[in-house]
Amino acid sequence: MELERGKINNLHLTFLIIGFTFGSSVIISPGKGAGQDTWLAILAGLAEGLIFAWIFFTLAVKFPGKNIIQINEVVFGVFTGKVISLLYLWYFFHLGSLVLRNFGDFFTSLIYFQTPLVVIIGLTAILAASAVRNGIEVIARCSLVLVPITIFAFIFDTVFLLPETEITRLLPILELPPKDFLKSSHSAATFPFGETVAFLMITSSLNKNSISSMKKFALGGIIIAAIFFIMAAIRNAAVLGGTAEISLYPSYVAIQLIEVAEILSRLEVAVSFPIFIMGFLKISVLYYSAVVGSAQILGLRSYLPLVLPIGTIMVVLSITQFATAVENIIWATDIYPFYSLPFQLIFPLLALIAAIFKQSKAGAKKAGEAQ
Amino acid sequence: MEHRRKLFITLVLAITLLGSSCWDRRELDDLAIATAVGIDQAEDPNKLLMTVEIILPQNVSTPGGGGGQGPASLNIQSQGTTPFEAAKRLTFESDKRIYFAHNPVLIFSEEMAKKGILPAFDFFIRDPEPRRTAWMLVAEGKAQDLINVQTILDPITGLYIEQLIESTGAASQIATLMVQGFLERLMSPTTAPYCSIIRIKGKENNKSMELSGTAIFKKDKMVGKFDYKEGRGLLWVLGEVESGIITVPCEKEGNIGLEIIRADAKITPAIIDNTLKVIINITEEGNLGEQECPIDLTAPEAWQSLERKQAEAIRQEVLAAVKKAQELNADVFGFGEAFHRKYKALWKEQLKNNWDEFFPDLEVEVLVEAKLRRTGTTTKPAVPE
Amino acid sequence: MFNLKKLKFLQFLISQKPLKGQQSDKGQGDKRHGLTANLKRNITILKDNLGTSGDIVYHEFTMGTEGRPDASLIYVDGLVNKTVINEFIINPLMLESRSVSEKCGIFPNYNIDVIKNTLISVGGIEKVSTFEELTDSCLSGDTVLLINGLTEGLVISTRGWQTRGVTEPDTEAVVRGPREGFTETLRTNTALIRRRIKSTNLTIETFTIGQQTKTDVAVVYIKGIVNPGLVKEIKKRLKSINTDAILESGYIEQYIEDAPFSPFSTIGNSERPDSVAAKILEGRAAIIVDGTPMVLTVPLLFIESFQSAEDYYSRPYYVSIVRILRFVSFFISIFGPGVYVALVSFHQELIPTPLLITFAAARAGTPFPAVVEAIIMGIAFEILREAGIRLPRPVGTAISIVGALVIGEAVVSAGLISASMVIVVALTAIASFVVPPQADVGGIARVSMVFLGGTLGAFGLMIGFLGGLIHLCTLRSFGTPYMSPLAPLKPLDWKDVVIRFPLWTMITRPSSMGWNNPQRQEIAMMPAPPQDGEESGPAQK
Repeated sequence: MELERGKINNLHLTFLIIGFTFGSSVIISPGKGAGQDTWLAILAGLAEGLIFAWIFFTLAVKFPGKNIIQINEVVFGVFTGKVISLLYLWYFFHLGSLVLRNFGDFFTSLIYFQTPLVVIIGLTAILAASAVRNGIEVIARCSLVLVPITIFAFIFDTVFLLPETEITRLLPILELPPKDFLKSSHSAATFPFGETVAFLMITSSLNKNSISSMKKFALGGIIIAAIFFIMAAIRNAAVLGGTAEISLYPSYVAIQLIEVAEILSRLEVAVSFPIFIMGFLKISVLYYSAVVGSAQILGLRSYLPLVLPIGTIMVVLSITQFATAVENIIWATDIYPFYSLPFQLIFPLLALIAAIFKQSKAGAKKAGEAQ
Repeated sequence: MEHRRKLFITLVLAITLLGSSCWDRRELDDLAIATAVGIDQAEDPNKLLMTVEIILPQNVSTPGGGGGQGPASLNIQSQGTTPFEAAKRLTFESDKRIYFAHNPVLIFSEEMAKKGILPAFDFFIRDPEPRRTAWMLVAEGKAQDLINVQTILDPITGLYIEQLIESTGAASQIATLMVQGFLERLMSPTTAPYCSIIRIKGKENNKSMELSGTAIFKKDKMVGKFDYKEGRGLLWVLGEVESGIITVPCEKEGNIGLEIIRADAKITPAIIDNTLKVIINITEEGNLGEQECPIDLTAPEAWQSLERKQAEAIRQEVLAAVKKAQELNADVFGFGEAFHRKYKALWKEQLKNNWDEFFPDLEVEVLVEAKLRRTGTTTKPAVPE
Repeated sequence: MFNLKKLKFLQFLISQKPLKGQQSDKGQGDKRHGLTANLKRNITILKDNLGTSGDIVYHEFTMGTEGRPDASLIYVDGLVNKTVINEFIINPLMLESRSVSEKCGIFPNYNIDVIKNTLISVGGIEKVSTFEELTDSCLSGDTVLLINGLTEGLVISTRGWQTRGVTEPDTEAVVRGPREGFTETLRTNTALIRRRIKSTNLTIETFTIGQQTKTDVAVVYIKGIVNPGLVKEIKKRLKSINTDAILESGYIEQYIEDAPFSPFSTIGNSERPDSVAAKILEGRAAIIVDGTPMVLTVPLLFIESFQSAEDYYSRPYYVSIVRILRFVSFFISIFGPGVYVALVSFHQELIPTPLLITFAAARAGTPFPAVVEAIIMGIAFEILREAGIRLPRPVGTAISIVGALVIGEAVVSAGLISASMVIVVALTAIASFVVPPQADVGGIARVSMVFLGGTLGAFGLMIGFLGGLIHLCTLRSFGTPYMSPLAPLKPLDWKDVVIRFPLWTMITRPSSMGWNNPQRQEIAMMPAPPQDGEESGPAQK
């Protein structure tokens, strides 16, 4: 029983991870609350996130061809494994709906004031559904085209913002009390770096040659994305100064300030769409993980029948979970960093420890038998 | 099966899209493009008066002929307790939706500015439509009168004012600030915002307008004004002098005009003997632009003396600005932020909340390093022998 | 995929039995039989099979003098070369046989091999013994010789009909490069390829497809370069075609393509022997169909639409700029009106102020919303284009004048459509001709983009773009991902995507083609002037 026949290679994985990590984090800058030190908070968050990611991908290398659901069953036993897997499915599913909501809120509060939320979210979800139906291979191929577009757009607007930057706005460094700084950096670690836990549903589709070097490529992807985040944070702080803190979407406001030769101005709409396509990638990956995982737990032969139902519930959840955009912000800054901790750290860590333990036991057994 | 589903999805999509066609679409001909926004105090003290200049595109002359009949813009007004309310009420007078995204200038009347602009300011930064790159201005007198002036050089007043501001660099005597910059200074605990002042010039049918100085704010209230000299003093410190003429007296009768080519400034805060001190280093390069007196200035001593005179002139301008700012107790130079950057702990404990007590007595030292580079196309003055 | 079983009920309407059984209308029984020794009987059966159409000639004669066996030549008038028949078949059989055959003693102990080997001086003779083979070759332009008393006949290759000469193709004109184009004749076309690739590995496999038309279809590839799986797959798909008519390569294309529901074509076509040869050399296979100069090549990649034969003949710098221009034009042709509509009806803040005022002035007073304008102008353009193609050339000029005047001038001055919209549509129209292979898709995508841009602005455009991209990423052409080498990423193949690298750097064949034989040239091929001390050409002394 193989739910996904498509195979991807390392390079695809890197691109997917870059796209996924960019995701919604370009509009909602990670490490918010650290003022001009946001970039340092992201750097610290990256270190923490890399530890998380190292755990996931070590786990993935230990169980080649298995996704998190199968790993859980092997490591925790059938029943506990299934329970944890169900929690993971909820996490992917919920995260997908959160990202959908982020984009819905982004568009409805900045560009489409009168368009109902459901239209934006619904259309995005339909798009993601068609990508999910076509399998991981197609999502990965899309990422190969989309990620360079976004990176190009990013570099483009950063270069045009250079005249507006003033490096003194980044000073003084490390002004925040350590507690607040850690809060910011932890928030950056869980969003977006730790969210790459969803790739434990995708690494099982890697082709054989790629498994051994997977960790390098995956962590590389996270680091590349982090470099862009740090650049974005430095840019935003250097352009906006203190006003970054009151901005809901600092990058968006920063791009608003571009003025080149009286021709290029108010580029934020144009630039917000390359950002949107990254969100689309993130939603697709999460959506895919939720769908394939559910099919796995239900023991279906194909995941296709689940695509539409899960997508529909995802849309409904994303619209109903917050009544206002303000709740979304509070959730993202205050609750989410702790809500996601079990999925990003505790379960994978337990699984890894258990796996090592089992392996050494099996190894000892084998050694005993040999003697 | 699959294709029937695809067809179904496509149909649903098409219907959704068709249904959505009236949500956020705004046809170009339904928009009145605002090119200047003026905010005055209304007669009712709780209300403000918003004057908006909108373009009449059909009257704007285009290269392909056409247009040119009648005025290119129209001013409409409305009252409201807040700018947003007033903006929405503008549609009582206009058959089109007022579109603020292209508004290049935001003008507050002096009266409003003195009362405090923060209540009226929020709309222009919160709403996604108005641009943060619009110029902030204070009008001497009423903003509505200013917008009503029929400018000759550009038929659209707002664009004319924008051009005026963007060309201030030639003399560098008026400090200008955009909404974004104003906001940033407003949010700083110590730094004071500023913006240009504009006033009507001439009378009756021959009205035009000119920039007359720099308005200095304390928090959101205008507290004073820099004249041209002080304005350049401010720009020297900010390092934003682009060009301009420094006039120094000649040894004999007449003056010498020195053109500024480039300038830079560095603010160094210091604590010496428990007193706060700011050292401003200004480096400047200039050219000999004109001379009225028949002296050969290219002689080494004369040249050096000219450089010294130039440096002294700059120093005087800066000191004038600093003096005025300290009188107004408005830190337009950002000295407070400079201390913030260098003395993090001290700033947090003492300076941040008591800056108003420190600033007026701040010791300021101005060091100018001025160079003269070129003499133009002549060396010695044209003197009949 | 699409469920063909659902179409089965349609067969009631056509006939009770499946198509497979419909071999021929008449004489089915005799056709499979072998020839009899009786010439008269053979002719009768043949006449029964071939019918008595006026263009079929039954030429009966006696071989040489009286008493010798009767013979009969059957051919289709117009398909054969009369000179060959007269001089090299009839002449030896009737006249020369009189003197020659006496000495050699062919008659009366004549047999078919003697006649084949000694009498008929035409290259390409085959013995046949069934009526089916006889009729098939006769209808293809060969001449059939039947001799009384023999149970075998001879099929003599006398094909020679009026053909169009090898002329410069209209569709893919080049400034630098060969002027030859394919013709409607299969043999000429294979010859044109063979002339360019004189390799023993060049393989041409011929099939006959079409119950009624019996069209010759040739698959051309180079053994050792092509991926064997590809050839196998092509043959499999060609063999599964069971239809009555193949009139153009487009028929074949639609029967064997991977994505029949996609607006994108997954099979390439070309009229130029040099570009087909180049594609074969890269590891593709060509499918030549008799009766059309359009030769199919598989697999097709998306980026092939942006490559032209001339790219490789000219120096690489300008070519690379042109490549970029083609990509830009393709995007303009798809997104042009959509972006304009989205800008003027959703995102006016993006337009620079002076330009916005100009737009607003142009739009002032026009009655329709921008979307409707775009759709009207789009339709008008398509009508004009179609009329321009179909009409005879002199009238076509009249159409373009009317179009230019009506659309370009009157509509604007009457205030029906804004001038800026006319400019946008005109630019889009011109851009759509830069990448001809994707012009059809462009037309469809353009309309969708106008619709999406007009209802949801840039978000709609983004939805359209992503939807298109997902679709493109799903497509495969004979197993090769359509978007290769962009997605999946094949860095080695990027030498020929946006920037055309110098030929000496293109060491490998495209890996997207399956890579049976990756290396195509030596590695150190960079031309360099002779160094000091080396022997050089006309040395200066």
